[in-house]
Amino acid sequence: MMKREYRLRYIIKEGLQDTFYIWKDELRNVFKDTGVMIFFFLVPFVYPLLYSFIYNNEVVHEAKMVVVDQSDSYLSREFTRRVNATPDVEIVGVCADMAEAKKMLDEKKAYGILLFPSDYSKDLHAGRQATVSLYCDMSALLFYKAFLLSATEVSLDMGKELRMHNNPSSSDKMDQITVDPIPYESVALFNTQNGFASFLVPAILILVLQQTLILGIGMLGGTAREKNRFHSLVPVCRHFSGTLRIVFGKSLTYLLLYVVVCIWVLAVVPRLFSLPQLGDPLTILLFLLPYLFGCIFMSMMLSGFMTSRESPMLVFVFTSVILLFISGVSWPEASIPPFWKAVGYLFPSTPGIQGFIRINTTGASLYEVAHEYRVLWIQAGIYFILSCVIYRYQIIRSRRLIIKQYQYMKIQRMMRKDK
Amino acid sequence: MTYKESLHRIWLIARREVHRLGTQPIYFFCMLIAPAICVIFFVSLMHEGLPTDLPVAVVDMDNSATSRNLIRQLDAFEQTEVYMKTMSFSEARREMQKGNVYGIFYIPSDFEVEATSGKQPGLSFYTNGTYLIAASLLFRDMKTMSVLAGAAVGLQTGQAKGYTEAQIMGQLQPIVIDTHPIGNPWLNYSVYLNNTVLPGIIQLMVFLVTVFGIGTEIKYSTSRKWLSMGGNSIVVSLLGKLLPQTVIFTVVGFMYCAVLYGFGSFPLNSGWLPMLLAMFLLVLSSQAVGVFMIGVLPTLRLGLSFASLFGMISFSIVGFSFPVQGMDPTLQALARLFPLRHYFLIYVDQALNGRELFYTLGEYAWLLGFLVLPFLIGRNLKRALLDFKYLP
Repeated sequence: MMKREYRLRYIIKEGLQDTFYIWKDELRNVFKDTGVMIFFFLVPFVYPLLYSFIYNNEVVHEAKMVVVDQSDSYLSREFTRRVNATPDVEIVGVCADMAEAKKMLDEKKAYGILLFPSDYSKDLHAGRQATVSLYCDMSALLFYKAFLLSATEVSLDMGKELRMHNNPSSSDKMDQITVDPIPYESVALFNTQNGFASFLVPAILILVLQQTLILGIGMLGGTAREKNRFHSLVPVCRHFSGTLRIVFGKSLTYLLLYVVVCIWVLAVVPRLFSLPQLGDPLTILLFLLPYLFGCIFMSMMLSGFMTSRESPMLVFVFTSVILLFISGVSWPEASIPPFWKAVGYLFPSTPGIQGFIRINTTGASLYEVAHEYRVLWIQAGIYFILSCVIYRYQIIRSRRLIIKQYQYMKIQRMMRKDK
Repeated sequence: MTYKESLHRIWLIARREVHRLGTQPIYFFCMLIAPAICVIFFVSLMHEGLPTDLPVAVVDMDNSATSRNLIRQLDAFEQTEVYMKTMSFSEARREMQKGNVYGIFYIPSDFEVEATSGKQPGLSFYTNGTYLIAASLLFRDMKTMSVLAGAAVGLQTGQAKGYTEAQIMGQLQPIVIDTHPIGNPWLNYSVYLNNTVLPGIIQLMVFLVTVFGIGTEIKYSTSRKWLSMGGNSIVVSLLGKLLPQTVIFTVVGFMYCAVLYGFGSFPLNSGWLPMLLAMFLLVLSSQAVGVFMIGVLPTLRLGLSFASLFGMISFSIVGFSFPVQGMDPTLQALARLFPLRHYFLIYVDQALNGRELFYTLGEYAWLLGFLVLPFLIGRNLKRALLDFKYLP
């Protein structure tokens, strides 16, 4: 009885010692390797800054528009003036005809045309509906949006004034229908200015964490395979004899490093660029835990398949584009085909991005992201088991190779003796 | 070296390169599998052009025949699906935080009574700006719905008082905006995104493969042999090595064009030639940038890191999602350094708008201009190929 307890205690003690040995060893590997340092530190440091900088202006201001005024009346000039006064649109010129305006589009001096027909003013004075045509270069959807929203806003405002002007409370009967029968208001509940950075950057930040982990850990794995005897993932060394020790020891290294990275990526950068931060810090912390575990264990599993240190970059970099779209932040989740939705569930980034942006931008609690949270823990569990399987296999493989080589050498020695 | 001898050497190196490409599966993956995955993914993801049936919550405080009619009509919009009806705004808001709905349509109590008696009940709608695309599509539908609701009531009361429809509409909405999105009248997102994302993937893979192809020569110390096959001329050696890659990537790029403009019938107002030329030049200029990268950082892993980072950032800085004109002036200048940016501008001029070739010549010239890069770095690269010791 005593003996067994002694043994168990010994195993735990040795296991812990080995875990810390591996932890320290892996930490050394990380800091020794510029390639890994690039992905663990430089990319998470620079990329969030770069992306925030690119999208920092949030919305398009002063999109260039040209006017073709065939009406040339007070009302058309007033409309033009008001569109020019909106923050989103700038009128860069008035052209005599459409051909001239199209030429300005061709020369990229403007991206939209506002056309007033010749009877624009006449119609309005006669109480008929008048039409203003808006032509838009579709190279950027945000220009189209800016033009459309500004022109619509001006048309509604001027319409209201015209109604009051046309019949200054003349007939009570007409009044009831002239004034808006049903007014409406629209409210953007979260990301209230519909900003581009606030929409896309939080998702990118989360994705950067996963992708850099995959690349960095993959590179460490590939390096180990290149360096170690028998091209094995696990070095031939007393401390690397147990699967759990290796998986725990290594994942602890990555986890500790990424706590630092997360603080920069998710706390400092959003503050620097005043991105939305409605989330409760504790909720974010609790949410990030399974996300990091999931990413780390998945990367460790994938690293088992990397035979050279450079292959992760060739294989995984392009997936970032796909993963961003599959996460459902730009292309809505409701419209993603079932097959790709299923593929998305293979990666922690999918529930990670969904959950994080809702916590961060809409102030959701863990209860509201319960589905994503559960998926993340399940992923972390599955990838943990799979990375253990990978390492177990590698340990057995290298042991078998050692034995094989030992036997081979023995045979050789015997053969030499025979001579 | 005579001209003929150079050609012969190029041919020999190209044969050697074809053998390398054929024996290492990673090339097969990067040049064919990855582009195939991307085209299948993006084309199938956006095959509907616009997201359909986006879920909204309706808070119906009125629960009258009119309000139910409104909800039915809203549901009938192609982009909108009424996911749930509720009497509580906070419940709808929670559903929004759960990600189940992207918008909320609010109908106040006594809506029907007030609307018919001219008391102007207000409709409100809320969108979740966290999901920008879904929010703007739902905004459009819910706004149209609100305008229509007002028009319906206006028409009803107006006609009851004996006015004609034209008179009433002239009063209800004196000025209407008639929009004409040039080139993409359906506001098709597949047209809008895939025309740039897919060439972006090609650019990224060309960067990586170019750097990898030259970098592995250094890493596995085969660079001297390669260079000597080229008669110690870096130009001949590079030409021979990159030629097979150029051919494969150009074929892949043309396949992309076939998928987009042939199979997908995306707008191609310029005809095929300008776009195929642009695709070919995109491949060439990306290779030139790739040579520059490995020349500047002649270590495989650093070169590849450079290629990855540069390739990924181009998706954002190219300005097809957020226009370059809206970015900081520094970034506007930097955007010129990405071949994809010029490809995008060519696409906008040619395929999308069918403009005169004259307006686009500058962009073609830019793409050709990238071909100067290898000459700038050639000396450095040659030194690396001859002397560099691979340090892991």
